[in-house]
Amino acid sequence: MYQPMLFIHWKQVRHVLIPFVVAAFSLPMLAVQGLGTDGSRAVSVEIYQIVSSSQLWLPLFPALAGGVGVVLALTAWNWDHKLGHVYALSLPVARWEYALLKMSAGVVLGLLPTIALWLGAHLALATITLPTGLTAYPSHLALRFFLATLMAYSFFFALGAGTIRTTLWVVGGLLALFVGSALVGDLVAAYVPALSEMSGLDLATRWLVKVGGPLQVFTGNWSLIDV
Amino acid sequence: MAFTIEGVTLCVPRGAIYGFLGPNGSGKTTTIRLFMGMLKADSGDITVLDRSVPRDMKAILARVGYVPERPHVYPALTVAEQVRYHASFFRLFDSGWASELRERLQLDPDRKIAQMSKGETGKLLLLLALSQRPELLVLDEPTEGLDPVVRRDVLAAVLDYVSETSATVFISSHLVHELERICDWVGVMDRGRLVAEMPMQHFKNGIKRLRVAGAPAAVADAPFTLVSRQSDNGVGSAETWTVRGWEAPMRYYFDRVGASLRDVIDLDLEESFVELLRCSRPQTKPER
Repeated sequence: MYQPMLFIHWKQVRHVLIPFVVAAFSLPMLAVQGLGTDGSRAVSVEIYQIVSSSQLWLPLFPALAGGVGVVLALTAWNWDHKLGHVYALSLPVARWEYALLKMSAGVVLGLLPTIALWLGAHLALATITLPTGLTAYPSHLALRFFLATLMAYSFFFALGAGTIRTTLWVVGGLLALFVGSALVGDLVAAYVPALSEMSGLDLATRWLVKVGGPLQVFTGNWSLIDV
Repeated sequence: MAFTIEGVTLCVPRGAIYGFLGPNGSGKTTTIRLFMGMLKADSGDITVLDRSVPRDMKAILARVGYVPERPHVYPALTVAEQVRYHASFFRLFDSGWASELRERLQLDPDRKIAQMSKGETGKLLLLLALSQRPELLVLDEPTEGLDPVVRRDVLAAVLDYVSETSATVFISSHLVHELERICDWVGVMDRGRLVAEMPMQHFKNGIKRLRVAGAPAAVADAPFTLVSRQSDNGVGSAETWTVRGWEAPMRYYFDRVGASLRDVIDLDLEESFVELLRCSRPQTKPER
């Protein structure tokens, strides 16, 4: 069952996924373009230049991972939605099993851009020589990319599985949670002197994107090269 | 018109070809979706192949071939890809027979489903359902919109399968004549209610139109069911009755009540169906 499921997901998504794979492969090369040791400069200047130049490209990595996740999630349910889920419901598999098969097919497809990124990063690093004091993190970057893809995929896969009404309820609920936590944040800020400079919205955003927050994987360190 | 499926007690004998008749929008597809586990009933029990719906749905669906009202296969796949995908879910899927059927139904394995005509898609759906070797075949308007040649091919394939395997077939349609030829049981659905369920032979022979002279005002203890009565204009007390469960010896009833039976008119299946629907619906008086 799994292999045909993987095949039909691939068949649906391939035209969109292939450009993402190419982009994931190319992005590390673009990030290190023109960088490398140049004996004429001080090492500290060179380190600074390499790190800052490669970091210019950082926002593109999480954006790409998010894009891959969204594309995989939407294509996972696309045909079933169009056909009113009649075919899926007439198959002798439990609904959770069917969803799991679909989900795991998408996860495997999400590995394609991840592997491309990992290969591209290794290839890119092979073209430059890093000064002492700098380290390359191609595997970390690829792992973070995969986790971010997985995060976006899981969220949109879950949203996509339901009806439009369910989706609106979930999105509405999440917005309410966010606004609610912002209001709570305002209260906390009013009573905790250390946080008095911050608004509730700041605190809620911080909760979402900082360590332990659900979106932290997108906002963490995406460096290919760092100290 | 909105209605609920209510009080439906449907009993399909094993091995029967059961025709599920009803006008468009009468609740046939909804009933099918209920026993296919696609919709949840508010109350009542559904048993398919001796198993409970929805509890044992996975086991039931492994033994049921289903052709829905509208094509439900993935449009970007080719015929061969769709067959492979479908086969992976059914343990008893007979790939050899699927190939035979594909040739017999003249389906190109490399053709994309999106490019196929309605008739070809209908054939593919039937191929998928039959290749599962199902014990129960559920066909929801399988020939709707198909040309006569494809319709004949589809019905022939179903009949061949039944003669070979003794499977039960549940076939819904509003095309009365189509079911007349192949079904041995019939259930009639209207506005969410099952208004009749009987062997096809009874359905064909049991509904008659009678011309009665000197008809009594009240009909009590009649051996048949009076479905409707209508006065024949200008012919005194002559009336036309539509009755169900009619048999020739029942003529004696008219002698007993002092009336005279002038004529017994056979109705064809379509007329019987229309009469049945007309009589099952609550009579409304025209507003002035």
